[in-house]
Amino acid sequence: MRLIVNGAAHDVTVPGHETLLGTLRERLQLTGTKLACGRGECGACTVLVDGASAYACLVLTAACEGREITTIEGVARDGELHPVQAAFVAEDALQCGYCTPGQILAAISLLRQNPNPTEADVRRGMSGNLCRCGAYPKIVRAVLAAAREGAANG
Amino acid sequence: MAKRFVTTKVEVEGREETTVVELPSREPTPWDDDATLHVVGQRIPRMDALEKVTGEARFTADVQLPGMLHAALLRVPIPGGRVVRLDLAPALALNGVRGAVSLDDVRDITIDGVQVFDHTVRHANQAIAAVCADSLEVARRALNAVACEVLPEPHVLTVAQATAPGAPLVRPRGNLPRNSPRTMTRGDVDAGLRDADVTITREYRTPAALHSALEPHGAVADWSGGVLTVWESTQGIFLTRSELADAFDLPLSKVRVIKNYMGGGFGAKNGASHATFAAAALSMKLGRPVRCVLDREGEQTDAGNRPATIQRVTLGAKRNGTLTAIKLDASVPLGAAGWLGGPGRIYHDLYACPNVHTVETFAYVSSSPMASFRAPGHTEGAFGLERALDELARELAMDPLELRRRNYAANDQSKRRQYSGKRLDECYTRAAERFGWAAARSRPRDTGRIRRGVGMASVVWGGGGGPPAYATVRINGDGSIEVLTGAQDLGTGARTVLAQIAAEVLGAKVSEVRTVLGDTERLPYASNSWGSITTASVGPAVRVAAEEARDALLEAAAGMLDTQPSDLESRDSEIHAKSNDRCMLIRDVCEKLGNVMIIGQGSRGPNPENTTLAAFAAQFAEVEVDVETGRVRVLRIVSAHDSGRIINPTLAESQLEGGIIQGLGYALFEERVLDARLGLPLNPTLHDYKVPTIADVPAIDAFFVGGADTVANHTGAKGLAEPPIIGVAPAIANAVADALGHDVPEIPLTPWRVLPALRTTG
Repeated sequence: MRLIVNGAAHDVTVPGHETLLGTLRERLQLTGTKLACGRGECGACTVLVDGASAYACLVLTAACEGREITTIEGVARDGELHPVQAAFVAEDALQCGYCTPGQILAAISLLRQNPNPTEADVRRGMSGNLCRCGAYPKIVRAVLAAAREGAANG
Repeated sequence: MAKRFVTTKVEVEGREETTVVELPSREPTPWDDDATLHVVGQRIPRMDALEKVTGEARFTADVQLPGMLHAALLRVPIPGGRVVRLDLAPALALNGVRGAVSLDDVRDITIDGVQVFDHTVRHANQAIAAVCADSLEVARRALNAVACEVLPEPHVLTVAQATAPGAPLVRPRGNLPRNSPRTMTRGDVDAGLRDADVTITREYRTPAALHSALEPHGAVADWSGGVLTVWESTQGIFLTRSELADAFDLPLSKVRVIKNYMGGGFGAKNGASHATFAAAALSMKLGRPVRCVLDREGEQTDAGNRPATIQRVTLGAKRNGTLTAIKLDASVPLGAAGWLGGPGRIYHDLYACPNVHTVETFAYVSSSPMASFRAPGHTEGAFGLERALDELARELAMDPLELRRRNYAANDQSKRRQYSGKRLDECYTRAAERFGWAAARSRPRDTGRIRRGVGMASVVWGGGGGPPAYATVRINGDGSIEVLTGAQDLGTGARTVLAQIAAEVLGAKVSEVRTVLGDTERLPYASNSWGSITTASVGPAVRVAAEEARDALLEAAAGMLDTQPSDLESRDSEIHAKSNDRCMLIRDVCEKLGNVMIIGQGSRGPNPENTTLAAFAAQFAEVEVDVETGRVRVLRIVSAHDSGRIINPTLAESQLEGGIIQGLGYALFEERVLDARLGLPLNPTLHDYKVPTIADVPAIDAFFVGGADTVANHTGAKGLAEPPIIGVAPAIANAVADALGHDVPEIPLTPWRVLPALRTTG
């Protein structure tokens, strides 16, 4: 089957039960997408499927034929950080960094749906992504800052 | 000639040890509050943030080597028993399975004194073998093919069960570890209680909490050319190296441990784990690289926990609030292994009181072993002590903050010596001001459904660090600078902070500095990143190394600028001669030197004698309690910290917020639940074990008071990662008690614990 990841086509042969997370990490070596729970509880594997956030551990690769998949590796364009990435750096919205790719993709998806979120919107919209280091206050600030920068158009 | 090797005392997580230290080549003048610093103290963006936001940061589970195999651990689902048959052959016969290891392959390899893959089962989900295959999926499937029989045997889950006559033995030498019960005494507590005008006795309970790092424990091992290379998600590369060398009888020089990025540790990743030994044993057996990473259930059930406690507290005081006696009788079920990180210590240290007596009974029980968890012992103890202190304040009709001030411990009470610095009083004042404590306390009590309350707690923790720690600073031919030290950055910001110290000394732009950490083969020794010690231990070593390098650099530059080194000043990567106003970029000096490499070596000197190094904090919380549902909502937390000099305020505040949020989880939701009869973990997922989400987090105002602690070390910095968790649960519980007007004896503050009425009605 053909998988479109970060704009590039990959022809892969996968068993029907393989998750998108497994395909990305083990076959395509796109290890920016993290495995932490493997059952849709933490958000570390969040990617975009056709522009909307999805837990890659709960998506079957076989269901992704012809769909546009964006991983953290495809967020920066031509060496330039996406406004959400830049805001995470500027606000120090990360510590160990393990949940960060998922947080950033969740934030991008949130801002596409709601370009001008309130703080409450951000807290609700990002609540599917756990951060055990507790970078949450700065994640809120980063997402709001990215919204001000017009990240939705990024 | 002066002695080169001396001894000094270093405290890590409440344990003070005497260690040998090699005196550094120099002892720089401490950076005091008047020191002019240009890079230290600045809000430099986290230097590895770029790799982390682009997905380029490669964590242990991301390491993929050619020919790498994938291992999975076979676990026993019951808490007690004996493995009477273990036949791996059916698994090995499966297509794609490449090998397996079990007890015979790891004889005499132990973790915390317990044989790896032992045939005695001491807790549910204990690992007894590992199978590896071409893919993780095949390895997991192969586990089902293993023929295994376990004869169940009785188990014990509580200290009471473990110490009852005739109790089944979790460990062959008995269920009480050496030195348990542990008794620590000063003065005469009975006399103190007789002297008291008021006494109270209360019992407090804290839950077993799980670290729940998002990156599970794991390792990738590669046995090749007689060298064992292990990528490990660890807080201690050198400790892991020595454990591997011991286990496989290899010289230290033939074991290399690498930790570049790790997805959280919080104390649970201090050395080699089952996954490490499994990956290494399999790689050595098969000659291929092997990855073994725990799945989430393994991480939540067999990768460490903060043990539960029961604390029976008696306090005695005069009418004016002066404490006359503090007494604690505590019990701590450690799990099948562990160390005595108990709640008792903080009872001795937090307040001035002449009579303190603590008894802590630690016992081995049939649950997974405990591990250090952010401020181990103090976090549990602070809940009991600070909750009891509020009950005493209520009894005395005294403001809880005033009661604490009246019992201020100006010196280290238990060791009877001075603190290198203590600004807890300033923490009280500043936090109370920013919180609006006086106004909040004088507000009339709510009587409706939603009731507000306020509470606070005090914090003491070590974090002074100490030797040994080494660093090398290299200046390359293009002027780029490397700080090399075998420490770890857990997400704390160590990479950035150490680069700032080097840049400060060298007068270089911090962007010219790269900190290289986490590789035993390339880097000089630094200790585990535990006990909040990395900055205070390694920072001074980096400063000394950078000074050595700077002196060489300025000497070279002096020749090029026709002046003396003492005439030179370096700033923003440019060297300036004061006498003749000539300038040269560091880069240009280095280019002229070519491959003459400037190398500075530094080490951490001894700690000051007869002095206790500690960090302090005061934490305040405001809550709302719904008296119909028992739901607690934390509205805000104000937290003031004395951690000496802050090298990078932004990263330091991130640490404070993170610690406070973990404390919030401990206070409100986090609790490992074992079936009381069967001993089986009932919530081994991130759905059922509740860690805080972004929606749970209140307004947090966390900040630092005071300045450099120049007695502690010459950078003036002390630890700050652990203090912020310690007082959060008692501050929140005290606020809930304030809102309700009755005691709150147990965390987490789930509705049935908050409202006794809910408890009786179910």
